[in-house]
Amino acid sequence: MIKRKTKWALAMRRLTKLTLTKTKTKLTLAVPIAAALCGAPALAQDAYVVGVSAAMTGPVAGGYAPIVESMKAYIDLVNERGGINGKPVRIIVQDNGAQPSKAATDAKKLIGQDKVIVLINTSLSSTYAPMVAESKRAGVPLFFAGGVCPPATYPPADALQFCSTAYSANLDSEAALSFIKSTAGGPVRIGFAGMAIPLVRTGIEHAEKFAGSLGMKTVGTQYTPPPTPDYTPFATKIKDADPNWVFSWSPWVSQVRTFEALRRLGWDGSYLSWAHLNAEEELARIKDGKFYVIGTNAFLEDNLPVHAEIRAMAHRAGLKYPTSYLTEGYVAGLVLEAALKKTSWPPTPKKVAAAMSNLKVDLKGLRGGPLEWTKTNHFRTAQYYRVWHWDPAKSAIVRVQDWKVIGAKR
Amino acid sequence: MSVPRASGYFRTRYERDFALLDTRTRKASLAAFAVMLVVYPFFAGPLAMDLANQVLLGAIGAIALMLLTGYAGQISLGHAGLLAAGAFATGILYKELGAPFWVTLPASAMVGAALGLIFGLPSLRLRGLYLAVSTLALHFIVIYLGSEYETKRGFSTGILIDPPGIGEWTVYDPRAWYFVLLIAAAATVLFSLNLLRSKTGRAWRAIHGREAVAGALGISVHRAKLTAFVVSSVLTSVAGCLFAYFRGFVSVEAFSLFLTIQYVAMVIIGGMGSILGAILGTVFVTLFPYFIEWLMDAFGLTDALSSVVFAVNYSAFGLAMVLFLVFEPQGLVGIWRRMQAWLLLWPFKQKPLAGAK
Amino acid sequence: MQLAVNIAVLASIYALISCGYVLIYRVSRVLSLAHGELMMLGAYGLYATASLFSGQPLVAVAAALALSLLVGVLVYVALMWRMTGESVLAAVLATIALGILLRGAMILMFGTQTRHPLEELGWTNASIEVGDDARISGVGLALVLATTVCYGLLFAFLRMTRWGIRMRAAGQNPLLAAQRGIGLHVIYALAWGLATLTGGLAGMLIASDAGLESTMVVIGLKAFPAALVGGLDSLAGALLGSLVIATAEVLMVYYVDPLLSDVVPFFILLAMLVVRPWGFFGSREELDRV
Repeated sequence: MIKRKTKWALAMRRLTKLTLTKTKTKLTLAVPIAAALCGAPALAQDAYVVGVSAAMTGPVAGGYAPIVESMKAYIDLVNERGGINGKPVRIIVQDNGAQPSKAATDAKKLIGQDKVIVLINTSLSSTYAPMVAESKRAGVPLFFAGGVCPPATYPPADALQFCSTAYSANLDSEAALSFIKSTAGGPVRIGFAGMAIPLVRTGIEHAEKFAGSLGMKTVGTQYTPPPTPDYTPFATKIKDADPNWVFSWSPWVSQVRTFEALRRLGWDGSYLSWAHLNAEEELARIKDGKFYVIGTNAFLEDNLPVHAEIRAMAHRAGLKYPTSYLTEGYVAGLVLEAALKKTSWPPTPKKVAAAMSNLKVDLKGLRGGPLEWTKTNHFRTAQYYRVWHWDPAKSAIVRVQDWKVIGAKR
Repeated sequence: MSVPRASGYFRTRYERDFALLDTRTRKASLAAFAVMLVVYPFFAGPLAMDLANQVLLGAIGAIALMLLTGYAGQISLGHAGLLAAGAFATGILYKELGAPFWVTLPASAMVGAALGLIFGLPSLRLRGLYLAVSTLALHFIVIYLGSEYETKRGFSTGILIDPPGIGEWTVYDPRAWYFVLLIAAAATVLFSLNLLRSKTGRAWRAIHGREAVAGALGISVHRAKLTAFVVSSVLTSVAGCLFAYFRGFVSVEAFSLFLTIQYVAMVIIGGMGSILGAILGTVFVTLFPYFIEWLMDAFGLTDALSSVVFAVNYSAFGLAMVLFLVFEPQGLVGIWRRMQAWLLLWPFKQKPLAGAK
Repeated sequence: MQLAVNIAVLASIYALISCGYVLIYRVSRVLSLAHGELMMLGAYGLYATASLFSGQPLVAVAAALALSLLVGVLVYVALMWRMTGESVLAAVLATIALGILLRGAMILMFGTQTRHPLEELGWTNASIEVGDDARISGVGLALVLATTVCYGLLFAFLRMTRWGIRMRAAGQNPLLAAQRGIGLHVIYALAWGLATLTGGLAGMLIASDAGLESTMVVIGLKAFPAALVGGLDSLAGALLGSLVIATAEVLMVYYVDPLLSDVVPFFILLAMLVVRPWGFFGSREELDRV
């Protein structure tokens, strides 16, 4: 037994010494998998192939997965109606879990292997950098559908980056602060709240400056770290600065939880925040007359014909999300359809980029006006904002400001 | 596994004893393997290329962690922090000074060495989980500093880095990257193998075995621990620098705790105390998610709702890790050794005694 | 005054979470990094039972707590039992793997939407005045009470009951304990059950305050420094550690910079590790090697 063990040890030691030879398994494992991965894309070229890298899992999936599902469902519908220019659209979705490295791999795979003609990003802003790098290298247009619009899409826009997402840091805060000024009537002591992520911080810094130019007094700014078990300590500081308005432009969690914490501390000012996908449900849940949301996507109150279409589409595709969650993805689907319609067969990334650089999409009332992209403006030429709140007297969501246009010249 | 491998082979000279490769079969198989590695990029598709590059890059980091954890026995959960330090050193020097890679690479290595010293200091007092957690604390501090830099300088979506190069020639194409990373990984393997059979490597194994005994044998425990941290951190930071150039960007979100977990998983799934294990673990952890995806595709499950598919993918990864830990605690290296023994002994069978490892 | 209330609530959150870390570590010397996921599972449990027993909120809460206990025992029986004897790192990695598995499974079962278990129960989160100028939310008060009761019961359990004494014995010296006829597996399973129960309770309360969504997993990790500062194997230490960390965080937010509140616990932790690595009340021990 003892002898056995020493022999064992000897053999082990020898093995560890000689590891160099044995890296062979690396290949025996890698080759079949790699071969399998290479074999997939044979049937690609009889369709418009579109690649999506999205946060389908991970902590932020709730804000992005519905958009992708809805867009995909819309494209399925388009395919059933006979496709675009007689060809079907194939949409390939990759999950990046909001991780930058995974997004880079996705982009490489979608461009190199699936030969997509347009890349779509529906994820956190941290995944933008790698996808922008890949899209630049390959010359494939990159379409942001559902994630915040990066500055490169504003005029003068980057040739390859486009964005249809409802929100964008600077314009939103300008629209929001203008609303506050007109609604407040008197002097405004404003507080700001947001999540401590680079993007939000830049947005709120812009808002602070803009508030100054409108003659408002900024009394305090609070950034909460992304996972915060209790928002009360942060809210306490805002409350003690005694603002009569608070503006928050941030992921929904930090917006609403700061508000709820403020209310529980006895603060009774007005609070304006951004209308994310779940805004309608949340307004009805919170039921507070002084909690306002500002946004660019029409609520279900309009009951447009297109809302019935969305509902039918969701039903057919078996989507579990409430209809109000699907607007953003439906808009992205409309834009994608319009861009591909203008791309003659056979499609190339270059043709798609050209088509997208001169595009006007009728959004059927889902937003205040059409979405228009020009050669230098890949955000939109005009952005329309509405503001809603919960009216306790009527016990319903009520619109307090109808479409107000802000030209997106910058 | 008292395997009569390479029977009839006796070492008659000291040089033979020093050689990393002794028999002809080994040399031949290594040569064949090297040829396969060199030929690989000319047959692989774009995704396979990217995966190979990821594996090579990951292998450097995994070997670094293996030296620290698998050989010197020091647990570290600050691996992603160290990678981030290397990547940020590169990114900051590139953005602020426009430094080329022959400046950023040594600079990253130096940052790594300094951090290794700092990360290593708690190890003089702490052991086991406490040490792990103190390195975790350092991870958060590195990440905090990185995100402050990003915000203050207005790189809210990450720092973009141009591909490195000398004069006209830039490393840009995946195939070029493959060879750069292959050379880097091979150099790391060679360096580690040689280091491990030197005085330093033997000191590491000794403190891994038992610190008190190692001290009694005349090994300076403190110095051995600190060198382990420094060597491992330098390698990791260099990997971070390569990461920055390879991916073309740096951002704090790329270095989450999950990355540390992946590296620890590589080391454990591969098999502790083996460089081969680190490499096998890297291959497994890097490729497994894609393997599952491919499997789902093959069974035509991707036509279902995509978010459900990804959730399944996610849980399958967890499940595979659990099964591995439960049923193959020795890691992939254990399987590899059993396979080898079986092949060498064939057609005879020899079952190891119960309890013998 | 408001600051004191804030500290009390935050400290309760940390204490209730870290008590799970301590229970498991103390008995089996394993650090459970799936604690955040188990908390979340507990909260989803409440959400599920709330819709199942609608109209009987108390029954729902009791059922959810029982479910948490059961899940903890199951985790031990199905997984951690097999990891006894493996290296610490392997066991820790097993808990991480379990966490990944649970996260995926929860997305599969419940989707990614934010849920509000409190409304499902039909309760509201009132705001209660404390003294002249401070307020506490209903759930905050529940948190403080729950933490007090949990710690009280756990202290009593460990000091006075037969099973509690067995649990302490198993933690001190498993070999001797086993030789004296204590069934280690039962003790370990019980520890996992109790840890998941308290973690699940913390998850339920946090979800009641703020809705149930996937960032809860990370909140589990935030209680980590608290447990360590106090000493990983001491319940009293966890309580004190939570108080120290919560105080530092709340004061940092109010008087210095809210951006630092995320890093400050780790600075305290580092300082503690340099001065007194085993924490306030932890035992000085030779810790496991890899």
